[in-house]
Amino acid sequence: MRILALAAIVVGEQPEGRDDAFEAARAGDAAAFDLLMRRHERQVLGTAYRLAGNLEDAQDASQEVFLRLYRNLARLEHVNLAAWLYRVTVNVCHDSRRRGLATVPMDDATELAAAGDPQQSAGETERRALLLRSLRTLSGKERAALVLRDMEGLSTAEVACVLGSSVATVRSQVSKARLKMRDFVERYSRRRL
Amino acid sequence: MSCAMWEERVALLAGGDLDRAEAAGAERHLEECARCRALAEDLHRELDGLRAVHAEPLAAEQYAAVRRRVLTELAKPPRGRARWPWAAPLIAAAAAVLAVVMMMKPAARPAPELPRVAAVAPAMQRERGLGRSLMVAAQKRVEARRGGRPMAARAKPARTPARAGRGPAPPRVADSPVRMVQLATADPNVVIYWLLEGKEEER
Repeated sequence: MRILALAAIVVGEQPEGRDDAFEAARAGDAAAFDLLMRRHERQVLGTAYRLAGNLEDAQDASQEVFLRLYRNLARLEHVNLAAWLYRVTVNVCHDSRRRGLATVPMDDATELAAAGDPQQSAGETERRALLLRSLRTLSGKERAALVLRDMEGLSTAEVACVLGSSVATVRSQVSKARLKMRDFVERYSRRRL
Repeated sequence: MSCAMWEERVALLAGGDLDRAEAAGAERHLEECARCRALAEDLHRELDGLRAVHAEPLAAEQYAAVRRRVLTELAKPPRGRARWPWAAPLIAAAAAVLAVVMMMKPAARPAPELPRVAAVAPAMQRERGLGRSLMVAAQKRVEARRGGRPMAARAKPARTPARAGRGPAPPRVADSPVRMVQLATADPNVVIYWLLEGKEEER
């Protein structure tokens, strides 16, 4: 409980310093908003890409996130923008996943792994592709926790704040996600042998 | 604690998510358990791989495409106005018509209360309106039961409990054994008719 409260201070409620670009964007300056997007595009598109699993859906999600940012600029004066963007990105990707891309059951994981390019060179590249495919075996919450914790590098407390969960829940989700990912890779490796 | 139970802690250890005491306990187990040690090594390698993959930036064009799409979307006029330019006056007209109709419509009447019998009025017979038609219908039924014999003038009318001692007796219909008792209620619009056959005369 104490850790969760600390997270709220670090990530959730601490506002960033607002500069001229933010104020100009709030006033309707398109160039200033463009600058704001450039500052956060790696965070938003990178996270959406890992959550959605493909670039096209990630770009759609990012577009929606930035449009929501524009519509909510007036209300974000005292909010940590990075944390807000993470939260909205996760929500938008979750909504679009509910409409389309489904989680692949672990039983079908070997088929998913086999769906990779057979001509792809073995080794590091193949292993990376396999790891990314393993994300599709995770539930939405597990995937979000893993992406934010292990790929975006947020602390467990920060992830909890972004996802609106407790630290204990995030630890459980992250742990399960890592074990599922390892299980997926192991199954694929056994199949190759 | 079995290895299956250690898995979760090993997975947390691989990501640096255990506090110092928990991590020390997990590491002690790893020294003793080759299976969990292999699991920890796999997890370390996979997490390193994930971070490396994620660190690779996307092509600049992919970011630019998103920005372009957002700015294009923002430059468009608000969708509602552009798509339905005629909707606002139409909705206003419809609202005005609805308001006029609502003003002309009388207020809904409250549901009528069930009549309560306030007092039993002296029995009386009526020769017009509903009372008359009820009496004729009842007379016909009695005559039909008697084989079509017309009914002669009868003796005195039966005294009903409702009528007893309450004012003058009602006038009789000369050839009718059927008497009608009218019960007044609190609601002047509700009258209860009680039809009686003249059983006393048949004894």
